[in-house]
Amino acid sequence: MEKIGVVISKEWLELKEQRMLLVSILILPVMLSIIPLVSLFGIGLSPASSGTDDFTRELLKANPAFAGLSEQAATQALLGQSFSSLMLLLPMLLPSILAAYSIVGEKTGRTLEPLLAAPITIWELLLGKIFATLIPSVVLSWLASVIFMIGVSSSAVDPRVISLVISPGWLLLLIFCAPLLSLIAIAAMVMISSRTSDPRTAQQYSSILVVPFLALFFSQMFGILVLSPSIALVAILLIAAFAGLMLWGAVVLFQRDTILTRWN
Amino acid sequence: MTLAIETENLSRNFGTFTAVDRLTLAIPSGKVFGFLGPNGAGKTTTVRMLTALIKPSAGTARVLGYTLGQDDQQIRRSVGMLTETPGMYEKLSAFQNLIFFGRLYDLSRAETERQAERYLRMLGLWERRDDKVGHFSKGMRQKLAIVRALLHEPKLVFLDEPTVGLDPEAARTVRDWIKELRSEGRTIFLTTHNLPEADELCDLLAIFRGRLLHLDTPTNLRAQLANQATLVRVVGEPQAWQATVQALPFVRDVAVTSDTLAVSLDDPERNNPTLIATLVAAGAQLRYVEPRITTLEEVYLKLIGEA
Repeated sequence: MEKIGVVISKEWLELKEQRMLLVSILILPVMLSIIPLVSLFGIGLSPASSGTDDFTRELLKANPAFAGLSEQAATQALLGQSFSSLMLLLPMLLPSILAAYSIVGEKTGRTLEPLLAAPITIWELLLGKIFATLIPSVVLSWLASVIFMIGVSSSAVDPRVISLVISPGWLLLLIFCAPLLSLIAIAAMVMISSRTSDPRTAQQYSSILVVPFLALFFSQMFGILVLSPSIALVAILLIAAFAGLMLWGAVVLFQRDTILTRWN
Repeated sequence: MTLAIETENLSRNFGTFTAVDRLTLAIPSGKVFGFLGPNGAGKTTTVRMLTALIKPSAGTARVLGYTLGQDDQQIRRSVGMLTETPGMYEKLSAFQNLIFFGRLYDLSRAETERQAERYLRMLGLWERRDDKVGHFSKGMRQKLAIVRALLHEPKLVFLDEPTVGLDPEAARTVRDWIKELRSEGRTIFLTTHNLPEADELCDLLAIFRGRLLHLDTPTNLRAQLANQATLVRVVGEPQAWQATVQALPFVRDVAVTSDTLAVSLDDPERNNPTLIATLVAAGAQLRYVEPRITTLEEVYLKLIGEA
């Protein structure tokens, strides 16, 4: 266990020294929490039914959950729900950036061999890398989500907007899925690392993980999917199973012999 | 005699390619063992197997008494390794790098700091301990990687080209250091292309190209190629004396360069006085008479060429 801590503190020390990397992982949560707030406050402050176009009106009509809401409140709820889906992107995007440097960086810096020559088990090393990436990613995602929730609560023109955006289903996903999604992103990065020696290329490959979230984003927007607690629980179970599968794949690839003889 | 490394038919295949073919070795403790071979000969693969980094396809090995495949973590804990490239974290300082690796090798933070200070002072890097490794020269990185390999005081140290990138003074320091490590009873497994260095440092040399071609002391290896010759430097044209020398019954061959007769002869110690007397009697003025030393490089090139 002690060596996991040693790896984590080394990773964080390196992160502290990489200003650009720090900026890029801080800027994402700031943007994803500030932009929705500006939009929601903007809608709240603008005169009722002033800026709603025909397309949005159709979208509002299509979603039965918005029935009985004023056009202004429904627009806030629609935007808020869409942005809430984007908040779930953070636990995937942040580890993709961090893990790319953490694992591919070991390859480019040629530090993998001396590291693997040390008496540390593969599990200790992998867990050290996972936690070093997962902890800041999840903490930042949750912090950004808390800011988002405060913003939704204070900008909502109707109390129902709050319950529609900060729904129990979304909260369940946020609490339980954020670590799982981070784990998936890190495991994916380990797999990608075996095939590339450039952190930026690795990040590009990992962007494929965003696709399911775009589906969630549009399903919510068009009212196809209502994120109820039961749907959220099913999603959590599926994501947990997928995370387990990805972790298994990462462990298979993250073996001394494989890294030194098969990684490109 | 205790053995630091003992292998039997150790092999490693990559698909259909055999990188290391049935290597059988016995390296006594406290010796400097030179592992020579051309690029792609399988030296790195061998070192990786012996340091429990990759698994052998066949064969067995014991490293410091630990069995490869069973006691891998013990092997990693007990050996030190200088890899082909220094591989230090460039964003971290020299000291932070050493603290990290020291902790991985089960040293306490206090122990690691003590050891890091001792070795950094020894290699003249103490004043630069807080500088980021990214600002270090190639030679400084190499020195730092050597310190890392020794932090936990391993009984067996694998050094891959330890003096590459070092200036002559630093290279001398490292060579002296290797001798000191041997005098402390440690075993050094030295992989190098620097043949004079191998000649100077190694007690035992292996010439390797996928399989073990030769294993012996440097002296015995040179003796295998012994083309015993005496070099005679003369005043004036050496050709004038070629026929005189060639007529001597114990002379096998005479080669002439600008001012030297290279005389291949039987038993130089017994026949050199006759050779010199003959030349002087014939009127030759001799500047120097010296034995021709067979270099390790000549031995190496011959043995590799024959393989």
